[in-house]
Amino acid sequence: MRTLTFIARRAFHAIFVLLGLSIVIFIIARIMPGDPARVAVGARAPEWVVEQLREQMHLNDPLPIQYYYWLTDALHGDFGISLVTRRNVADDIREFFPASLELAFTSLLITAVLGIGLGTLSARHKDKFIDNVVRVISYMGVVTPSFVFAILFLLLFGYVLDLFPTIGRLSEGVPRPPTVTGFMTIDSLLAGNFTALFDALHHLILPAMALAMGTMAQEARITRASMSENLTKDYIAAIRAFGVPERTVMGRFLLKPSLIATISIMGLDFAGGLANAFLVELIFVWPGLSRYGMNAILRKDLNAISAVILVLGVVFIVVNIIVDLVVARLDPRIGLRAARSD
Amino acid sequence: MAQQTAEWTGFNITEQELRRMRWQTRRENLGRSWYKFSRNPLSVVGGATVLIIILAAIFAPYITPYPDHATRPFTDFANASQPPSLEHWFGTDEIGRDIFSRTVFGFRFSLTMGVVVLSMVVPVGVILGLIAGYFQGSRIDTIIMRITDIFLAVPPLILALAIASVLEPNLFNSMVAVSLMWWPWYTRLVYGQATALRNEFFVSSAEVTGASTAHILFREILPNTLSPIFTKISLDMGWVIIIGASLSFVGLGVQPPKPGLGTMVASGAKYLPDQWWISLFPALAIVVLVLGFNLLGDGLRDLFAAEEI
Amino acid sequence: MTFLSKHRVFLVLSILSVFLLAACAAPAAPAAPAEAPAAQPTEAPAEAPAPAAGPTTLRVTFAWPTFIDPAVGNDFSSSSSLINLYDTLVFPSPDGGIVPWLAESWDVSDDGLSYTFHLKQGVKFHDGSELTASDVVYSFNRLKGIGEGFAYMLADAESAEAVDDYTVTITLGKPSGLFLPSLLRLFIVNEDLVRANTAAEGPYGENGDYGKEWLLTHDAGSGPYKVKEFQLEEYLLMEKNEDWWGEFAPNAPDEIRFIGTTEAATIRTLMANRELEISDQWQTVQALEALDEIEGVDIAALPTMTEFYFMINTKIPPTDDVHCRRAMAWAFDYDTAVGLEWPGTRQSQGPVPASLGGHNPDVFVFHRDLEKAKEELAQCKYADEIENYPVEIHWVSEVPDEEKFALLFQSNMAEIGIPVKVVSIPWLSMVENTSSMETSPHIATIYVSSDLPEAGTMLFQRYHSSTANQWLQNEWLLDEEFDARIEDALATVDQEERFAKYYELQDYIAELAPSLFIYDQAEKHAYQSYVDWPALRGEMSAVMGYYFFGPQIQVNPH
Repeated sequence: MRTLTFIARRAFHAIFVLLGLSIVIFIIARIMPGDPARVAVGARAPEWVVEQLREQMHLNDPLPIQYYYWLTDALHGDFGISLVTRRNVADDIREFFPASLELAFTSLLITAVLGIGLGTLSARHKDKFIDNVVRVISYMGVVTPSFVFAILFLLLFGYVLDLFPTIGRLSEGVPRPPTVTGFMTIDSLLAGNFTALFDALHHLILPAMALAMGTMAQEARITRASMSENLTKDYIAAIRAFGVPERTVMGRFLLKPSLIATISIMGLDFAGGLANAFLVELIFVWPGLSRYGMNAILRKDLNAISAVILVLGVVFIVVNIIVDLVVARLDPRIGLRAARSD
Repeated sequence: MAQQTAEWTGFNITEQELRRMRWQTRRENLGRSWYKFSRNPLSVVGGATVLIIILAAIFAPYITPYPDHATRPFTDFANASQPPSLEHWFGTDEIGRDIFSRTVFGFRFSLTMGVVVLSMVVPVGVILGLIAGYFQGSRIDTIIMRITDIFLAVPPLILALAIASVLEPNLFNSMVAVSLMWWPWYTRLVYGQATALRNEFFVSSAEVTGASTAHILFREILPNTLSPIFTKISLDMGWVIIIGASLSFVGLGVQPPKPGLGTMVASGAKYLPDQWWISLFPALAIVVLVLGFNLLGDGLRDLFAAEEI
Repeated sequence: MTFLSKHRVFLVLSILSVFLLAACAAPAAPAAPAEAPAAQPTEAPAEAPAPAAGPTTLRVTFAWPTFIDPAVGNDFSSSSSLINLYDTLVFPSPDGGIVPWLAESWDVSDDGLSYTFHLKQGVKFHDGSELTASDVVYSFNRLKGIGEGFAYMLADAESAEAVDDYTVTITLGKPSGLFLPSLLRLFIVNEDLVRANTAAEGPYGENGDYGKEWLLTHDAGSGPYKVKEFQLEEYLLMEKNEDWWGEFAPNAPDEIRFIGTTEAATIRTLMANRELEISDQWQTVQALEALDEIEGVDIAALPTMTEFYFMINTKIPPTDDVHCRRAMAWAFDYDTAVGLEWPGTRQSQGPVPASLGGHNPDVFVFHRDLEKAKEELAQCKYADEIENYPVEIHWVSEVPDEEKFALLFQSNMAEIGIPVKVVSIPWLSMVENTSSMETSPHIATIYVSSDLPEAGTMLFQRYHSSTANQWLQNEWLLDEEFDARIEDALATVDQEERFAKYYELQDYIAELAPSLFIYDQAEKHAYQSYVDWPALRGEMSAVMGYYFFGPQIQVNPH
C-alpha cells in the first residue's frame, strides 16, 4: 500500500514536471530560425502551399494559443505531422521507440551482468593486478564515446571477422514477424518464428555492446567503490567472525547493499542511453528513436523534437520511480518517503 | 563572528590566536590531503596530464611545428592526407594541415568550453541550491526545485542539442546551450548538502546570534559544501568537454576551419577506416584530456570521501 | 614513484596502444589481397560465395528520407524510387531527348497551348485494374492540388481533361518548349486505389488528405516494381511486377532494396561482404579509393545535370563591379579544384553542365591567368582600397568537401590581393540568407541540378529574376533583358531555334561573370562488377533517378 501511495505521489509530481518541460521545449521549438512550413515543403513549392501548411500547423497564431493547441493535441496523443517523415509524429514514435527500447534493454542486460561482475571481481581483488586491469578498462570505457566503439566493432566483427550482421534489425529474406510489441525478439517469439528470433538477437549484439561499453565501465567503477567501502565496515567483520562462508558474505551481505548506488546510476544510464544512442543507431542503420530525434533536430522538425524530448522525459521519470522502488527494496533503511529525487 | 564563537565556547582566546590556530589546522589538513592524494598514483597521473595539456594549450603557438595550420587559413593539397611521419607526427588532414598542431590548438577550445561553462554554471547552480536548501519547505524552495526538476527530467545532451540548434552554430552558443542544461546538477548537489547542514549546530548558533542570511549562506554553509563541489567540477570538466565535442561532431559547436577537437573527429570520420589518423588523434586527445580530469576528480573524491555525485 | 604506479602507467599505455592497434589493424587486414581494378570488369571473381538460391536483389544505399508519394518526393532517392514504382507518359532517352512511353503518340495544337496524348491500351496497375485517361487526369490534379514535390515543374500546365478512356488533353497557360520533358515528373497513380485509401479529414477539401498518409508507405502505380516492404528510416524493398507491360532485361533484379545509410564504415563493410551492389553518391574521394581496392568492386563516375557554382552577389561591393568578378574568375585555380574530385570530373564549360541539350560548346571559359586577373582588378573601381572590402565566401557545412574549395579560393585570391573570409554555414541558414539581397553573402558555394535535360531550364533556374530570392540564385542578377530573352527562348517550340537562343544566352552570362563555374558534378558510385549497369556505357538518361531504373540493370549470377 505504501508503494502505491508513493507511486501516486510521484506520478502527481511528474505531471507538473512534464508540463514545465513541455513549455520549455515548446519555446525552444518555436524560436528556431527559419519557417518550418517552408522547410517542410522545400524552396520550390509555391507560397500557397506553404501558407496552407502554416495554417494547418497553427503557425500564424500567437505563441500562447499555439501552445494551447499543441498541448491539447498532445494530450490526445497527437503530436502533429513530422516534417522528416511526413506522417504523424505519434506513429513515428510508436514505430521507432520500441527499436530503441529493445536496444537499450539489451544493452542494460549486458551492462548489468558485466558491470556488476567486473566490479565485484575488482573489489574482491582490491589493489591487485586484476583490479588495476579492470579499473583502467573502466576508465577507458567511461571516457570513450560509444560511437567510437560502434565503429570499432563494426569494422572488427562485421568487416574483418564477418561474425555479425552490421545493419538493421533483421537479415534480408528473414520474414518479419507481425508487429505486436515492436520488439523484434518478442514479436518473433510470439509468432513462434525462431529463425527471426535468433536473427534479431544476432543483429542486436553489436550495437548493444557498443552502447553498453561506457555504462558497463561506469557500473563496474561504482560497484567496486561501494563494495570496497562496505568491506571496511564493522558489520562485515562481525559476520565473518561468525564464520559465515565467504561466498555468502560476498553475495548476500556485501553485494546486495553495495548495489544501491550501481542501480541508481544504471537507471540514469538506461534512460540516457535511449537519448544518446543516435550515432550508434546511425552506424548500424538502427531505426531508433534517438536517431529520429537527431534527424529532427538537424532538420528543425519541431513537432518531432518536442515529442521525442517529451517521451524521453516520461521515460526518465518512470525509470527514476522504478529505481527508487528497487533501491527501497534492496535497502530497508531507505524509506520511500525519503527518496525525493526525480 | 570569531569573537562570538570564542565567548560562546567559554574559552578565553583572542581573535588573533584563533585565526592562527585555524591557519595551522588548514595547513596541516592541506599537507595531509596532499599526502593522501599523492599516495594514489592514478590521481597524480591525472593531475599531471591535465597540467601538461593546459600548459601545451597556453603555449601552443610556441611548441607546435605548424601553428599556421591551426590559426590561419591554409591549404596544401599536395600534402593532403599523409600518414603520420617524423615531419607530421599525427599525419596531415584532407586539406594538408598538420594534425598534431591542430590537436594542440584544439585543446584551447575544449578547455575554454569546460572553463567557461563551469564558471557560468557553478555560481548560479550553487547559489540557487543554497537558497532553496536553506529555506527548505518555503515557496522559494518549491519554485527553484521544481524548475530544477524540469531540467533534470531529460538527458542533458538532447536538450543541449535542441537549444544549440536554435542558435547560430559557434563555440559561444554551444557553451550557452550546455550551460543552460548544466546548472541544475549543482543546484541539486548543494541543495542536498544545504538541507542537511541547516539543522547543524553551527548554523543554528549563527542564527541565534543574529547573523545575516547572506552570512549564513556563504560563510557558514557554503564552506562546508565546497569539497563535493570541487570534486564535481573536476569530473564535470570531462563531461562538458565530451558534450562540447559531441555538439561539434554534429556541426553545432566550433566551426571549421577552427580546430575544435570534435569538429576534427567529425570531418575525419568520413575518411575512416583508411585515413584513420585524421580522426583518431583528435579523438585520442579528447580521451586523454577527459581521462586526466576523471583521474583527478576521482582522486579528489577519495580525498574528500564525498558520497554524493 | 612506487613500483605499483609505474605498473599502472604501463597499463594505461598498453591499453591505449591496443586501441591504436585495433583502429589500424581493422582496415589494414582486408586490404592485403589488393588487386588492380580492371577498367571494364565483366567477370565476377571465382571465389565469390555462391548466392543463396532465391531472388536476385539489387541493393543500393541512399540518403534518407525517401518519399514514394509522387506528389511529395522530389529528391534523389525519391526520384529513384518513383521511376521504378510508377509509369509516366514519356521516358527520357540517353541523349537528352524524350520518347513515347504510356503515351504512344501526341498532337500539339497550332498555338502550342494544347497537347493531346493517346495512351497505350491494356496497361495494368499493380492491383490489376486498367490504367485509363481518368487516372492521368486524377494524377495531374493531385500533383497540382498538393503543390509539393515536382509540382513546380508543371507550373505552366493549367488543366487536364479525359477525352475518352485512352485520350487525354492537357492545356497550357502559355506555350512552352519544355512541357513535354516536364511530363517525366508526372507519375500516374491509380485513382480508385488512392481514393479508397484517402482519409476524409485533410487540407484538400473534398479530397481529404489526397491519400498522402497512405501513399507514404504504399504505392498505387503501374511501374516495373512494386512496394513489398517499407521500413521508415531503414529500407525500401521493391519486388518485380511480373505483369508490367514493358520489357525486363534477362537478369533484371527480382527485388530492389534501397537502404537508408551513407555511413562510410557501414558501406565499406557491406560492399566487402557483397551485401550491397551499388553505393550512394555521397562517399568521399578517399572512401571511394578504399572501396576500389575491394576485389570485384569498381567505381563509376556518371555524368549528371548538376554544376558546382561559386555564386557571386552582383549587388554588393566589391563584387558589384564586373571587373572585380572577372579578376576572381581569372585567378581561381580550376585545375587544382577539379583535381580534388574523382578522376574524370571536368571543369564546367560555362553556366550550364555539358550534359544538357542546348549546351554551347564554344562558350567563353575562364582559366587561371594571374596576369589577366591583375589587369581586370586594376580596372575595378575598388582596386585602390580592395583590402577594405573583404569578400565572404559561405560554404554549406553539411557538405564538408566544399570547405576545400572555399579555402583554395581564399589562397588563390590572396595572390592578387583580394582578402577573403571563409565561413561555414548550415544549409537552412544558407537558404534563409540567400532569400534577401542584404543577407546574401559575396559568394555562396552551391550545387544546382537542372530540373530538365535542357540548357534553358538551368539558365532560367539560375539567373531569371523570379529565382533571385531563392537559394538557386545568390547572384541577384535582376537583368530585365536576360529575363525577357530566356522567357522567349523557353516558349520557343522549335528545338533548333530554341537551342540557338540558349547558345546566345550562355555567351551573355559568361560575359557578365556572375558566377565561377567550377565543375560538372559526376555521380560517383562504387558497384560490384557482377552488376551490368547500362549507365556505365552511357545507355541511361542523366535525368535524376533514371540511373536506377531497375528493368535495365542486370544482376548477374556470381
